[in-house]
Amino acid sequence: MLPQIAEIQSRLERQHYVTDRAIATTVYLAMELRKPVLIEGQAGVGKTEIAKVLAASLETELIRLQCYEGLDASSALYEWNYPKQMLHIRLQEAAHVEGRSVRQAEAEIFSEPYLLQRPLLRAISHPDRAPVLLIDEVDRADEEFEAFLLEVLSDFQVTIPELGTVKAEHRPYVVLTSNRTRELSDALKRRCLYLWIDYPDFEKEVRIIESKVEGINHHLAEQVAGFMQVVRRVRLGKTPGMAESIDWAMSLMALHADHLEPEAVNATLGAILKDRDDVNRLSGTRAETIISEIGRLDPKDLATAAPSIAQRIDKELAPRS
Amino acid sequence: MGTPRPQARHADLQRNILGFCRLLRERELLVSPSEVIDALRTANAVDLGDRQELKVALRSVLTSKPEDIPVYDWTFEEFWRSAPPERVEERVEDSQVQSDPNASQGDDSEPQPAEGDDDSSEATEELEMPLYSPVETLAGRDFSAFAADDMAEIARAILVVAKRLATRESRRYRATRRGSAIDLRRTMRRNIKYGGTVIELARKARKIRKPRIVLICDVSRSMDTYSRFLLQFLYAMQNTLGRVESFVFSTRLTRVTEYFHSGDIHQALDRIAAEVPDWSGGTRIGQSLKSFNDDWSLRLLNKHTVLIIMSDGLDTGDASVLELEMERLQKRAGKVIWLNPLLGNEDYRPLARGMSAALPHVDLFASAHNLASLQALGRHLVV
Ligand SMILES: Nc1ncnc2c1ncn2[C@@H]1O[C@H](COP(=O)(O)OP(=O)(O)O)[C@@H](O)[C@H]1O
Ligand SMILES: [Mg+2]
Repeated sequence: MLPQIAEIQSRLERQHYVTDRAIATTVYLAMELRKPVLIEGQAGVGKTEIAKVLAASLETELIRLQCYEGLDASSALYEWNYPKQMLHIRLQEAAHVEGRSVRQAEAEIFSEPYLLQRPLLRAISHPDRAPVLLIDEVDRADEEFEAFLLEVLSDFQVTIPELGTVKAEHRPYVVLTSNRTRELSDALKRRCLYLWIDYPDFEKEVRIIESKVEGINHHLAEQVAGFMQVVRRVRLGKTPGMAESIDWAMSLMALHADHLEPEAVNATLGAILKDRDDVNRLSGTRAETIISEIGRLDPKDLATAAPSIAQRIDKELAPRS
Repeated sequence: MGTPRPQARHADLQRNILGFCRLLRERELLVSPSEVIDALRTANAVDLGDRQELKVALRSVLTSKPEDIPVYDWTFEEFWRSAPPERVEERVEDSQVQSDPNASQGDDSEPQPAEGDDDSSEATEELEMPLYSPVETLAGRDFSAFAADDMAEIARAILVVAKRLATRESRRYRATRRGSAIDLRRTMRRNIKYGGTVIELARKARKIRKPRIVLICDVSRSMDTYSRFLLQFLYAMQNTLGRVESFVFSTRLTRVTEYFHSGDIHQALDRIAAEVPDWSGGTRIGQSLKSFNDDWSLRLLNKHTVLIIMSDGLDTGDASVLELEMERLQKRAGKVIWLNPLLGNEDYRPLARGMSAALPHVDLFASAHNLASLQALGRHLVV
């Protein structure tokens, strides 16, 4: 492994982010090739977190643009402070300032003090060092917005008609994430390096739980991970991600559980299952089945046992008509 | 003579990267000249002695969606394992020779219909696939005409076909949302003169659901020549499309979705062969579909499901059971497709008792005897 990649890996790990080779290598390449990274994966697999720990490890600012449907260029880039402008106009009227052209009035209110910087402009005009720009859940924005992003990510400069052109002195590190609720345009993908993050396997999940849940014992972390590996393979309304594993492990800790046992599990199942039907499906005997299967197994077999346990549960769950 | 000079080695590397990119492009990854340039830069930036590093590094440059990843991983292993530098040179030339002359010349500028930026129209999509793609040379051949040696090649082609279906599908469901943003700046300019009112416009989202796909494949003896191809197809569909449930049956039904989660198709097939009861035994389609209806249909089928049955319809069971079960299936599912490999034979008529009992409850009856017929399925994976 290249020392630079190993260095990135250990820096991210120091921020309590469990980092595999693919992640470290992609981050390294993004810096080397100066390209944005597009990270795709299911909800809760650690996409957003990468940008956060990257900023922390570079000791630079994280600037986040949260996308949503209807997000438009101006709310991402800059806006004019309309209330303030309006107020200014009113005041001028009240003072009966005469002899001023409309043009002058305009120039006055379309100037720096009336400008509101939004994330993209802030990222481009960062004064002292390259920030990390996180464009989160870009799949939630419209396709038009994507086209606009593409422009910004190509030039790292924007023109504000009233003020002129702003060009990035320190090009930001850009991370885009998508939950894949829709496919992004090929053009945007071309701009970016691509990283697909899957649900973690057993070992990775154990490590994540241990790094995020202070004081948890190894045995409980393994059992929680083993349980989650099964749950993710059962057909559910909403498959839980890592946030749920971590929450759950914390709830169990709060109950002073040091291993999985039915009572504690049933009491805390709400931490991993957000859908009432899902809770009904798994609570009681089903959860007990998973616990006893997991309890029986040697940890080294836990990693591979999930599919067959899940299949059993799925079968039990199949309704008879 | 002696050890190759660094420059020579550099040239080898470049050729390898170009050859690898070309192969991926043939397999329909989004690899244009700009990706090739990035790939070359990447190769110069990583530790070439570390194959795993090269693999993950190039992957972030040369893939662009999850469906690409199995194809990429497979191709990487194949290309970099089997190809020491000298052989790679031959390989690159080989593929040039095989290529359609027009296609290979226009590498840089030629439009790529299947991957292009704008959606090509549904009807012409299949026809416009580049001719030199490995799929096309194999597309028309009946599966039963392949020798055991062809298996690896056809398996790759099946993966490409499944990827096309997946790509096409996500394209279809790429939401086309309309923006009608209000231009506040212009509004404001007007306000300078007139003063004004603020108008707020709200927009509504359109919810589109992708269909779920359930595949049920007949692995009884009469299907022997086809089922190993169709299982490859099941595997490929599951690994590229997600949201796919797979079952097989001969005299009894088995859910095999989980088997295919393992990264290795051969392992999955071995496991099916070992664990599925009566593999290559007789056929009881009606009974098998009954147990699907009893155990699974409530959870897996709804109006957003496309159910695909792959069978020759040669049933040794009771045809009236089959008919009843087909009726139940059709009631629940959004669409029922029956793929019969025998349909590839011009003389075939669906007269077998089972088949004719099932047909009234099928929305689409189509063939599944070659790659072209599997690919044609793309058009019908909607409800
Ligand atoms: N590899 C990892 N190492 C440490 N924590 C992780 C890792 N992956 C996910 N997490 C944790 O899981 C939770 C969800 O991660 P997040 O980045 O918000 O997911 P996403 O953005 O993919 O929906 C966060 O609390 C995050 O800290
Ligand atoms: Mg997120």
